[in-house]
Amino acid sequence: MRGANAALGAAGLAAFLALGEAVPRLGLIKEDYFPPTSRIAKALGTELADHAFWTALGDTLTGWALGLAIAVSAGILVGVVISVVPHLREATASTIEFLRPIPSVALIPLAVLLYGTELRSVLLLVVYASFWQVLIQVMYGVQDVDPVADETARSYGLGTWARVRHVLWPTALPYVMTGVRLAAAVALILTITAELVIGAPGLGARIALAETSQAVPEMYALIVVTGLLGLLINVGARTVERRALAWHQSVRGEVTV
Amino acid sequence: MRRLLAVLAAGAFLVAASACGSSDGGGASDKNASSGGITTVKVGIIPIVDVAPLYLGQEKGFYSKRGLKLSMTTAQGGAAIVPGVVSGQFQFGFSNMTSLMIAQSNSVPVKAIANGVASTGVSGKDFGAITVKKGSSIKSAKDLEGKKVAVNTLKNINETAVRESVRKAGGDASKVKFVELAFDQMPAALDSGQIDAAMVVEPALATVKSQGGTEIASSLVDVAKDLTVAMYFTSTQYAQKNPDLVKKFQEATADSLAYADAHPDEVRQVVTTYTKIPTAVLAKVTLPKWPAEPNRASIEALEKLGEQDGLFKSTPDLDKLLP
Repeated sequence: MRGANAALGAAGLAAFLALGEAVPRLGLIKEDYFPPTSRIAKALGTELADHAFWTALGDTLTGWALGLAIAVSAGILVGVVISVVPHLREATASTIEFLRPIPSVALIPLAVLLYGTELRSVLLLVVYASFWQVLIQVMYGVQDVDPVADETARSYGLGTWARVRHVLWPTALPYVMTGVRLAAAVALILTITAELVIGAPGLGARIALAETSQAVPEMYALIVVTGLLGLLINVGARTVERRALAWHQSVRGEVTV
Repeated sequence: MRRLLAVLAAGAFLVAASACGSSDGGGASDKNASSGGITTVKVGIIPIVDVAPLYLGQEKGFYSKRGLKLSMTTAQGGAAIVPGVVSGQFQFGFSNMTSLMIAQSNSVPVKAIANGVASTGVSGKDFGAITVKKGSSIKSAKDLEGKKVAVNTLKNINETAVRESVRKAGGDASKVKFVELAFDQMPAALDSGQIDAAMVVEPALATVKSQGGTEIASSLVDVAKDLTVAMYFTSTQYAQKNPDLVKKFQEATADSLAYADAHPDEVRQVVTTYTKIPTAVLAKVTLPKWPAEPNRASIEALEKLGEQDGLFKSTPDLDKLLP
């Protein structure tokens, strides 16, 4: 079954690439603005040979990884603290609901004023967007804790830390993992957006440079790279999720009795 | 390319910017990494042909000779440049004259210090022009009445320029419908008929021409002879605190501009180091002029037209703005 699926997937991709080659060649759309696959591939080859491309890729990955790491640690920490400390949840709910819907890109002017085109502007946007993804999932996860299990832990005399470790965390982990996966994708989107709009160094800035330079195939080649990056990040996040939740029934499947 | 967006930023962050500027301005000078008598300054630029003299001057040692090292920060959206300079993230920036005048009339503390780029002053042979699609029925700027014309930023230098071309051709500028579109998207939009005409600059102009599009007016030339299109600027705080540095930057930039003007081949060469303009396009690009000094009369003409079209809240004070 797996083999057949993979073959179908490959066939679908091949058909798509062939379509990308044929449509501009047949003149259905202008070759100038939508170059055929082969020209994009050639431009991609030139890019891969360029040292500046790898620097840009490194910049993008740095912004993404740092931003994600900060957002995930902060999201988990704040989420757990808010959930564990009595009344803190009620006290913060309205503030969170107010801040959460602010689109990160709306903070671009602020980022520019504070940090110019540095990495820190990228981080500001990335962390702001990804943080909520994790925080909200942690809070949902904590809500899902079985009250009986929690009461049992209490009656066994487990302290706050032990209850967080043995009851709250295992329950919340699947939610956290979903949050991390979502945050990983959002972080990439925001990294590229920041580079594209603000001009912080990275793939986004390179795309914008190709665009302003009228280097159309190069622009598409770079867009393809960001797409592949997104794909890799998603696959990576799923792998991490599966590993971390190997014990959980959502991954393990129901045990047949 | 989107340098004209800077003006939006200037307006939008007026309050924040001036607040930030006054508290942060002192820090700006401290941030200069000074080692071995070389001061590194950050310059916010847009990676286009216009700023080639800076790269060339750096290469030729005009800046290092004076103890300056430029750290070019390519702010893609020009939106980052004015607030970046005012808040002290960059020491110098590059912006078009209308944007600088709008900023000045909004009391954003900017000070133009060195000439940036000028139109060639030759009609039909400038780096910016109103273009139409191959075979278009529009033959002159007068025909733009009731037509859709793309400019990169509404209410900025290119809109002023197009209006002036229409008026000079004997048309009614108020009847032109302006739409906002990035320069790089104009060739495609023109080709597909989404717009009737486009005010483009290089390298989009070369692209339009390569598709058979034609120029109907050199609008920057219509505004004024040898129009000063853009200049390098700094924040007034920075200029006050670092008069020596600013003076060195002015001198080195003047040298660089003169050198660039005299060596077009080297300009085309250096452009390939910081843009991705394909060589075939670059060969056809019309280079702008880089006089060492701004042309005040042309800036006054631009100001007058801007005022006529209601771009400024109050009359910009050119004595304060210009070096």
